[in-house]
Order: sequence, then structure tokens, then C-alpha cells
Amino acid sequence: MFSSRLLRREWLSESVFEVELERPRGFGFTAGQSIRVFVGESGRDYSLAGGPSAGTLSLCVRLVEGGAVSPFLAGASLGASATFTGPHGVFTLAASTRPMVWAATGVGVAPFLAMVRAGATGFTLLHGVRRNQELFFRNELEASAARYVPCLSRETGPGCFSGRVTGWAAANLPPGMYDISLCGNRRMVRDFMMIVDERFPGSRVFTEIFF
Amino acid sequence: MTSLLSGERVPKSHARIEACGDLDELASVLGALAASLAEDRVVEHEEIRQIQGELLHVGAWLAVTPGSQTLDMLRPPSDAPVEALESGIERMEKDLPPLQGFILPGGHPSAAWAHVARCVCRRAERRVAAIPSPEVLPWLNRLSSYLYVLARHCNHTRGVPESLWKA
Repeated sequence: MFSSRLLRREWLSESVFEVELERPRGFGFTAGQSIRVFVGESGRDYSLAGGPSAGTLSLCVRLVEGGAVSPFLAGASLGASATFTGPHGVFTLAASTRPMVWAATGVGVAPFLAMVRAGATGFTLLHGVRRNQELFFRNELEASAARYVPCLSRETGPGCFSGRVTGWAAANLPPGMYDISLCGNRRMVRDFMMIVDERFPGSRVFTEIFF
Repeated sequence: MTSLLSGERVPKSHARIEACGDLDELASVLGALAASLAEDRVVEHEEIRQIQGELLHVGAWLAVTPGSQTLDMLRPPSDAPVEALESGIERMEKDLPPLQGFILPGGHPSAAWAHVARCVCRRAERRVAAIPSPEVLPWLNRLSSYLYVLARHCNHTRGVPESLWKA
């Protein structure tokens, strides 16, 4: 169990913010891993969004009203202590000769941000959100991607696919064997798996579900 | 279809999925065993909790194909859990009368559950033996021995006589 001070908080929208924690001495992690932040007995997992060599630990959090942990991260004074365990998880990048396809919904983009900040390039990223203004970190992600596909499910936007990431994949991803990494809500992950089994047999799929 | 931890999409009947399913079943049966075990068997409760945790480690290990980089993220199997089982066996055996023959599974509910767990463990061991992951086999092998001794121990501590097979 670690205890770290909250150093900085930046609101990206009305309900999503990036928060930085002091990085404990000797705390190492691989891009894609998460920490479990505790308020009392309740713990919630958050992917680390910063690169493994960053001086702080960065989380991308959606505020859940009445939630166990996010209201604390959203409202605690800077300098307050947060307790957490980690690093957890195996949602990390393996070296591969196959083309990489990543799909994220909402704050599920956080582990991919960490991978980009760790130097990953050459991937196709399907970035699914409801509205254009929720495409947080777009410039940073787009700069490293071989192909960046913003997908808007609730509105249309210039250069954006209108629909879900699964809709784009089913209609536009060429046949092939991919290394597919999925991070987001359970429905997206489930629907994407069905598309993979039907259209991209032999692909490998790595998943991290955000609730 | 379902995914291995190392990413491959495989049929639900894949040998690794079957093995992981047996480990999951074993963890659940151990839960039933713990629920039927007297609260004052503190050491055994803790041992069962440790075993359930170890089953998760082993399941993750078996859900990864050899050579995958995902293995680097997992704790490799070690001798420590094997030694923990052996010390549990030694502790319980000290109090037990010598075996007089084949025991018919049953007796106190906790003993009966321990026998069920032992059988599920044996099946898990057979399934695991069918895939190339020899590093977890010694632990599974010792685990069924532990559960056999635990079954006897449960009957002994509750004063329930063992039912011996009469040919």
C-alpha cells in the first residue's frame, strides 16, 4: 500500500479530469498497468496515463456521482493523501509483427496514452466517445498513430466517423490478423470480440474493461 | 470463442480453458468447504484462503501460451506454495490415527466437502497435465494430498469416525 499526495488536477470536461499523484520512490510500472485507489475499504482501479519514466503518476478519471473513489479524487484538496496499491494488470504491449489495432471508449484511452508516452507508434487507434469535445488527448495520440479514427456516437464532426468504434471496425478494417487491444466499456469489448471472431480470425485480443 | 490472457481467441473447449475452468471449480468447492468448517479452525481457514489465491495465480499462468510476453507480467510458480501445503499436511497428520484401509468419502460435512475438493483437484491435475505447463503440477499434486489429510482431520476433530471400506 502506498500513500501519495495529490499534486495537480485538470478538468478536461464537466465530468472527466486528469489528476497527478506524487510518484513513490521505487514505484515502477509498465505502460498499460493500473493502480487501485482506496477510500476506506473501497478500492477502484485506474489505468496510469503517464509514461513509465514520468516523475508523477497520472490518472484519467470520470467522476461518478455517488461513486466510491472518484468523488474523492475530484474534490480532495491538492496536497491531500491518496492510498493505493499497484501496479496491477497485464494490459501491456507485447512486441509483435502483426499490425496493432487499439480501440478505446471514454476514459479507456488512458492506458493507450501511457503506451504512447512510453514511445509506442505505428498503431491504428479507434477512439470512441459521444461528442467531439470528449476526444481528450487527440493531438498527442494522433501524432504517434499510423491511423487515428475518431468515432462519435452522439453527433457528427469533421473528419470523424459517425458511430461506434465497433461500427468502424466492422465496415472499414481490412481483413488480416491483428494484435487488438480493447479498453472501455463491457459492451464495446464484447461486440468487438464478436467482430474479431467473425472477420479477423487468428488475431490476438487483449482487453481491459472500464465500468 | 474466448480469449486467453495472452490474447489468442480459442474455442471454449480449448485445453487451457478446460484447465482454468477446473481451477475455478476447485476454488468454489473450497469456498463451500470453508463455509462448512468450524470458525475456530483458524489455521485451516487461512490455508484455504491462501490456496484460493494461489489458484488464481495458477489459472492466470495457464491462460498464457508458452513464449508469450504476458508471462513476464505474472508471478512465476515457485516452491513456496508446495512447501506451505507440505507443512499443513505434517501439522494435521500429527493428530491423526494411522490409516487402517480405504476410507469411504463422507462424515462431517466439512470432511465431505474436502473429499469433493480433492476429486476436483485430481481432475484439474489431469487437465493441466494435458497442456505443456509442468511447472504447476507439483503444487496441484500436493494439494490433493493436503485435501485428503484435511478431510480426515475434519472428521477427527469433530469426533466423526471414519467409514472404512469392507471388501
